Amino acid sequence: MAAQPMTSSMQPTDVYGGDEVSAIILDPGYSSVRAGFAGEDTPKSFVNSHYGVSSSGGSYVFGDDTIHNPLANLDIRNPMSKEGVVEDWDAATKLWEYAITSRLTSFKQADPRTNGLNDDMKDADIEMEGVEEGEKPLEEHPLLMTETAWNNPKLREKSIEVAMESWGCPAFWLARNSVLASFGAGKATALVVDVGASTTSVICIHDGLILKKSVQKSPLAGNWLSSQLRSLFSTTDPKVELVPHFMIASKTPVDAGASAQATYRKFEDTPSASFRALEEERVLTEFKESVVQVWQDHRGLKAGTEYARQQPGRVFEMPDGSNQLWGVERYNVAEGMWDSSSALPVPNESAPSKGQTIPEMVKASLAGVDIDIRAHVLQNIVVTGGGTLVSGFTDRLHNELTAMYPGARIKIQAAGLTAERRFGSWIGGSILGSLGTFHQMWISKKEYEEFGTSIIEKRCK
Amino acid sequence: MSSHDVRDMLDLPGTAGPRPAKKQKIAAPKSTLKGLAREVQSLAGDNPISIVPEISSFKKRRLASRKPAARWVLKPFKNPARGDDLVLAHWRRKAEAPPAPVGEDGNSEQVEAQPEPEIENSTFAKFNVKVDIPEYTDLQYSLKLEGEGWTKDETDYLMGLVKDFDLRWPLIWDRYDYEPLASGENGDSLVSVTQPRSMEDLKVRYYFIADQMLQLHTPLKDMRKTEHDLHEIFEKFDPNQEALRKKFAETALNRTKEEAREEESLLLELKRILARSEKLSEERKELYARLEAPPSNGNIGIYTSSQGLQQLLQQLMTLNNSKKRRSLMGAENMSPASGPSGLQQQGSFDRRDSTMRESISGPSGPSRKGTLQGPPERRELTKEEEKMYGVSQPTEKLSGPSFRADRLNKPITNKSATMQAKITNVLGELGVPSRLIMPTAAVGQEWESLLGNIQKLLELKKNAEKLDGEIAIAMTLKAEREKRERAARGEPDPEDDDHDVKRESDREKSVSRSVRGGSVSRSARGGSTRKRSASVLSAMSDKSTKRQKK
Ligand SMILES: Nc1ncnc2c1ncn2[C@@H]1O[C@H](COP(=O)(O)OP(=O)(O)OP(=O)(O)O)[C@@H](O)[C@H]1O
Ligand SMILES: [Mg+2]
Repeated sequence: MAAQPMTSSMQPTDVYGGDEVSAIILDPGYSSVRAGFAGEDTPKSFVNSHYGVSSSGGSYVFGDDTIHNPLANLDIRNPMSKEGVVEDWDAATKLWEYAITSRLTSFKQADPRTNGLNDDMKDADIEMEGVEEGEKPLEEHPLLMTETAWNNPKLREKSIEVAMESWGCPAFWLARNSVLASFGAGKATALVVDVGASTTSVICIHDGLILKKSVQKSPLAGNWLSSQLRSLFSTTDPKVELVPHFMIASKTPVDAGASAQATYRKFEDTPSASFRALEEERVLTEFKESVVQVWQDHRGLKAGTEYARQQPGRVFEMPDGSNQLWGVERYNVAEGMWDSSSALPVPNESAPSKGQTIPEMVKASLAGVDIDIRAHVLQNIVVTGGGTLVSGFTDRLHNELTAMYPGARIKIQAAGLTAERRFGSWIGGSILGSLGTFHQMWISKKEYEEFGTSIIEKRCK
Repeated sequence: MSSHDVRDMLDLPGTAGPRPAKKQKIAAPKSTLKGLAREVQSLAGDNPISIVPEISSFKKRRLASRKPAARWVLKPFKNPARGDDLVLAHWRRKAEAPPAPVGEDGNSEQVEAQPEPEIENSTFAKFNVKVDIPEYTDLQYSLKLEGEGWTKDETDYLMGLVKDFDLRWPLIWDRYDYEPLASGENGDSLVSVTQPRSMEDLKVRYYFIADQMLQLHTPLKDMRKTEHDLHEIFEKFDPNQEALRKKFAETALNRTKEEAREEESLLLELKRILARSEKLSEERKELYARLEAPPSNGNIGIYTSSQGLQQLLQQLMTLNNSKKRRSLMGAENMSPASGPSGLQQQGSFDRRDSTMRESISGPSGPSRKGTLQGPPERRELTKEEEKMYGVSQPTEKLSGPSFRADRLNKPITNKSATMQAKITNVLGELGVPSRLIMPTAAVGQEWESLLGNIQKLLELKKNAEKLDGEIAIAMTLKAEREKRERAARGEPDPEDDDHDVKRESDREKSVSRSVRGGSVSRSARGGSTRKRSASVLSAMSDKSTKRQKK
């Protein structure tokens, strides 16, 4: 085969309008921080949002490599609030910095002249222009950051301040994560249903901008599902003990339903409660992934309990070796998202209201937009966020919506790949950040210096 | 079956292990052995042929064609669409570098990146388009743009939003959150309340302003086409109609399941009806095409002279003759196609009496017949369809031209006058008009059979009368003879006897009638005093009433 001129030698602009400027996309969430270069298909850096603070020295540790160490007096915290917005700016800045520098910029991926990968090449006269080590991590990279639709102006101003002052970005942009999720699904107008860890939101997007009157959010998301699981475990008979992995030294297999036979690890100083909660959460996420299912019929689980009982159950083995078959209960825990009256009672928490269920949120969101785009938006429903990975979620959503709007055409766009679903908003950012036409959007350092932090409200609508 | 399977069956352990590896070996050469005939390959069976395939030269070639890696440079660029001069940098292939196939990963080493003195412009700057939003001065506003319920401040706010969101109304309406200036600060705080404005309100206001500004720039009479169109759009915007439309759209969206289903079924029904009517009209069209004779192309000019007429006469005569002969020969060797289809290209006739004239053709006709043969494909009508459309294809041949109406009346008109009168009498008695009102094929058939029956009836009647007469004669002869015998014996002439005979003959008559009337006779004999009508039809009805009575 004759060597043909590669298509990559042509300007990629002819093909898809891309023109990459090594922008970095940062998508922080309650459960994890996603960061990576624009134009790539998955974030290179994926860091748990929880971080550890040693209660003695007060130093922070970040990342899954360190926070899961069962150390005494390691306190686990999260910089995000229960609403998915930043609460602790100091920690958040450090966490994001860690996410970026641990995998992206300190690697010097962007500059092959100094990364040492090409040292064996003969060409020695390297132009060293413009690569002096700056003390700020992002001096060469425009930064595109995501935010929730309900982020308040103060926090938005804080973000640009961090990016410009602390990190020295040459350019910055703040985009709504729901908008990016719809971009990630290839749509500019959409109804985005995002079930994250802290919040579930339903938002209408028109032509790449959120419609503020359509913003609906509720706490019935991944964390709430975990709390449902906890109350399920505590109410089953016999009670299911939630013992995280780090407590187990060894275990022996037991029959289903039998009590666990495991030896537990002894700690001189037992790890903090927050650490244990973090580790328990990992078990719960595993349970969510493998056992929990959404009842598909829009009439709800209550109407179909008899039928649900006949469905095959699933076995889940706890870290301590005890295992059990979960039958109709595995439908029960997610039912509250759809029918608030079916939610399991959680101690110290008020029961969810009807308006917090997903169908009602969709209804309310649609009521907040012009009638002309309602039908359009119903044909472009984008489902994103880790919480939507519970099996049966999209089917239920589709059934609910077709029952609610029998006259409209309902079309749901849900990425089939787990990664694409979880990183939906990051991927949208990756697309946006690599577009040639996006260059004129960036807020440059100069503009920031000229107008101050208030520019973010003016530009990023 | 491979040798392995045999071993398996025989329970021989041996070479159970290497099987998967072997399989792989088989697969590999099979795909690469290209030059070998399939027969030769199959000779080997499951065992791989011990020809070592040529090693793929993938690596070698790659190494051989190694050229210096493509050079890429991190090129800074500007975007003139931006207000500031933000310089971003992207990787570009170095211009002088020869095109090389490898190194597309962009990690190639860079040699002497010439410091580019001039920063290039982004190619994407041209995509930065903005919508033109009319602008006005304070004076213009106070002169032209004052609107009810709108302060200048709010109008400014609206225009700002329109500009920011490039006329995307759903967004403008969504973000519209005007807070009036603190009262007292401004004199005209008449509209202090922030009643939510509908999208129509906003549009009306904007269109009004845009229209006014447009007219201010170019007076109505100087407007070009595009400007005028724009002006018309602004003028014609009707907020009430828009609101109504939206209301309608909303109810359409919020239909219940039943309504949606009903609409769906109605739509389906409509579709079906449309399809059916389409089919019907199609069929009708086809039928018309079938019935419509093609336009005349025979020239009648030649028949206008007396010579021509003579010729025509002769032609008709010969045709007549040949037809007679043909009919003698029998109908079976007359192809049906020679009938109606043959005449169709002849055309020019009224389709009603086409059968009569089928064989009349212009002088050039017969010869052309052959060349013009091959009538357009016509769909064969099924029996039911023929009935439905009343199409018939008469096969019987009649000699010479005649009216169809004649055919109907022929059974009557070719009878003698008395006979005709009798038939009309019977018809009158039956209440059937002697001239048919709607002579369709079916009616015509019935008519013919009725006339046939009437004729039979009249014949029988005639016979009966004749017999009656003969019997009467025989009776009188007999009476005469008896009288003579009695006279010879010298007996007196009994008056009442004669009477008896008469009554006797009456009975005879009724008996003879009953022979014809079948079961009716019994009723007559049964002492029924009903006056019997002579008509078969009434006899029939009698019969039926009798049956009912029974
Ligand atoms: N396969 C799965 N099945 C069910 N739930 C899952 C699955 N994978 C992840 N989750 C849940 O999804 C949540 C994380 O989703 P995601 O990464 O979208 O949240 P986030 O964006 O970090 O949070 P937020 O949007 O609230 O800030 C976690 O609660 C996790 O338990
Ligand atoms: Mg999220």
